[in-house]
Amino acid sequence: MSVNGTSSGKRSALAPLGKPFAVAGGVLAIVAALLPWVTFSLNDGNWPDKSTLQFFDAPFEVTGFRWHMLLLGVLVLVATFAPIPSRGRVIRALGWGTALVSFVNGAYITVKGGGLAAITALDGAVAFGSIVGLVAGVLMILAAYGIGFEPVGQWKVKLSTPLAYLVLLASFAAVLYAVAALLTTGGVGAANPYAGAIFLSFLGFAAGVLGALSGVGFIKWLSALSEQHRVFSVIVLAACALLLPFTDAGNEYWMTVAANIGIYAATAIGLNIVVGLAGLLDLGYVAFMGIGALVAANFSGAATAHFGITLPFPVAAIISAIVAGIFGAIVGSPTLRVRGDYLAIVTLAFGEIFTRSAQNNIGGITNGSNAIPGIPQLSLFGAEFNKSLTIGAVKLPAGVLYYVLIVLLVAATMAVFANLKFSRIGRAWIAIREDEDAARAMGIRTGKMKILAFLIGATLAGLAGAVFAHKNGTVSYESFKFLESVTLLAAVILGGMGSIPGAVLGAALLFVLPEKLRDFADWRLMIFGLALILIMRFRPVGLIPDAHRRAEMIEIADENAEEAHEEAKRA
Amino acid sequence: MSVLLQQLVNGVMQGALIALIALGYTMVYGIIQLINFAHGEVFMVASYGGLATYTWLLPEDLKKVPYVALPLMFVGGIIVAVIVAVIMERFAYRPLRNAPRLAPLITALGVSVFLQEFVRNVYPNATSNLPYPKVFPEGALQLGDVNISWTGLLLVLLSVGLAVVLQTYINQSRMGRAMRATAQDPDTAKLMGVDPDRVIVLTFIFGAVLAGVAGILYGGYLSNINIDMGFQTGIFAFTAAVLGGVGSIRGAVIGAFIIGLIKTLAGQYMPGGTQYDYVWIFVVLILVLVFRPQGLFGEPERVRA
Repeated sequence: MSVNGTSSGKRSALAPLGKPFAVAGGVLAIVAALLPWVTFSLNDGNWPDKSTLQFFDAPFEVTGFRWHMLLLGVLVLVATFAPIPSRGRVIRALGWGTALVSFVNGAYITVKGGGLAAITALDGAVAFGSIVGLVAGVLMILAAYGIGFEPVGQWKVKLSTPLAYLVLLASFAAVLYAVAALLTTGGVGAANPYAGAIFLSFLGFAAGVLGALSGVGFIKWLSALSEQHRVFSVIVLAACALLLPFTDAGNEYWMTVAANIGIYAATAIGLNIVVGLAGLLDLGYVAFMGIGALVAANFSGAATAHFGITLPFPVAAIISAIVAGIFGAIVGSPTLRVRGDYLAIVTLAFGEIFTRSAQNNIGGITNGSNAIPGIPQLSLFGAEFNKSLTIGAVKLPAGVLYYVLIVLLVAATMAVFANLKFSRIGRAWIAIREDEDAARAMGIRTGKMKILAFLIGATLAGLAGAVFAHKNGTVSYESFKFLESVTLLAAVILGGMGSIPGAVLGAALLFVLPEKLRDFADWRLMIFGLALILIMRFRPVGLIPDAHRRAEMIEIADENAEEAHEEAKRA
Repeated sequence: MSVLLQQLVNGVMQGALIALIALGYTMVYGIIQLINFAHGEVFMVASYGGLATYTWLLPEDLKKVPYVALPLMFVGGIIVAVIVAVIMERFAYRPLRNAPRLAPLITALGVSVFLQEFVRNVYPNATSNLPYPKVFPEGALQLGDVNISWTGLLLVLLSVGLAVVLQTYINQSRMGRAMRATAQDPDTAKLMGVDPDRVIVLTFIFGAVLAGVAGILYGGYLSNINIDMGFQTGIFAFTAAVLGGVGSIRGAVIGAFIIGLIKTLAGQYMPGGTQYDYVWIFVVLILVLVFRPQGLFGEPERVRA
């Protein structure tokens, strides 16, 4: 995406104001953090962490989102004067973070507190915190446009292997901490009336800091480093994931949510093979997960299962994966003749046929809208997977075994994905994605490769589906409708097509947000639709773009011009 | 025999409805090669727009006069559809004109979900089926054992009539020529003084008007409406457009009648009955896309990079 013309116009007007605005923004953010935010106590008790007037009982106790505001302000001041690369991007990210934190808290207080009086002045009490914060954020963003956007910083630092390991270890530990904090922040359920707002505010802060890190070039450097030490990174990442039950997030509720995220993340990685690597848009992908789940359910020994045989889980899971894979190859076979968005429609049609057939209990194996209930829980050496687990003195929360199983599943999927991506097959897929005719001319057997992409993607989804069936204990076609396909696709796109951490992040965001935002449950899908539009408009490469993909998307403007030129010549 | 005849009549009526929506798909695809997934939702929104016009805008005494109420509902529905389509084109699709091909398709999915959920959340009681007002001519024409409802007849006449008008407009008018030129080659058309943005907006507006008409008639024909109608009917219409050959007006109409007939006949005679009629349409869609992607009346598929 080239920088559009308007920003350069803005830059010239704002250029001399860049640094002063940044300083003013930073100072105002710090001031906002110390100001009161609410003119009275809200119905459900004080707005978190003494940000109402009571705050003045303990003026130095800055916690919660005000602590984040303080940090953001300090970071902006540092960024303004420290010699860092790409200052504009850093300050812009921090500015958005500040603005988001202020806006979320301010808007929530306004809505809950009944009007603007709640965040301005009421009965002699004044609380302009959110407004000052918002002004600070806007000033920072303007300052960033004044300073201008250099390209993202390139770090040339080369590390010796032990040092690199240390950096990676520290970074992944930080990720683990951030994930646990993100999950538990604000709590959940009726006991925590402010959960949604606190979570969104935290998300704003996290996004701001991450954006700043990415602007300064740290993220890029780190991902290059982890790419270089791939095996080590994967091991550490898996270890971090397995440590999650020992953090604050280690209770039954979050184990369940994390396990669900894991299942969808594994499916999203499978979809990423089809969409991200091979460039084949699949709009009916969740059907494969459904097929896997149904097969597993039918072999599980549940009362309504069609086949009277009970297979051990590993065997059933493998059969599920194989059956789903076969269907994947069938659905993929039209790729031999159909391309582009027509292919998307074919996959959509297959997906709808699956939903309809499953709904009508085709062949008696899906049990229609009654679902297949009572699928037995998995157990290992007599330990049921949904019960809590005590090893010696350590008591682990219920559902932890499912969590572990699913972490292993995600790790396995990631391994498959990564190995394929850097193999001959993966390169063939990417070549097909870039230009199918050229790929064929280079001797790639495109038809075979495309069907293989569908087959492998579907196999992974089938495997995830089998785990899904046992974990939830019931399988209904309702869980595998078109909207789920779109959600998975959105997870892949949001995270970044072709990128593994992207798929996990995307799945996590799309499946955690609804848990946290129960207040907005009705509006969830609407916001989701809007988000799809906005992502495509403003960041089509996704949050964590794949290096190749990124290059391609940036060059796309020129490519299109060339293409138009070619077509004009042909006509 | 009479069952067959009756199903044929029903099929033609369903086909007429699908045709009105399929025209919108086919025109937009013809000009900017975008599968406008959200077009089905425009149709749905129009239906709710017509209902809203009737419920809140019409005075009580006018509600009882079908000659006044029905045209006003059409106007209301069409206005809503056009506004939605123009906003959608301007803010969702236009910025992506030069983006990679998948981007606008995904955006279209987003628009579709957004519109559906917007109506669900904003329109009172939209979560359940809403009854449509009885302003349509009641009763039916009896031909032997076959019932031809007046609403259905109106539907077929309007659908075919509008398609003919549209075809004539595109073939004969100055603007129609600009549309055909843009469809063939936007860059050269631009050099010849055609404003592509205007042409594209106009295409969306035409599609929306037809979808608006369809939305009101759907309510009259089935006498209640729901949120999901857009997605389902939209898929049928898209299938019809593909079957006829995307970009061809005549193809879309004929394709729509074929789809309508398949739906009713499969529901009557194929195993599984009406529960599977939907499936048969998708089977047809897949077969057409695989074996004759250019459709019945389309030009052979251009190889795209």
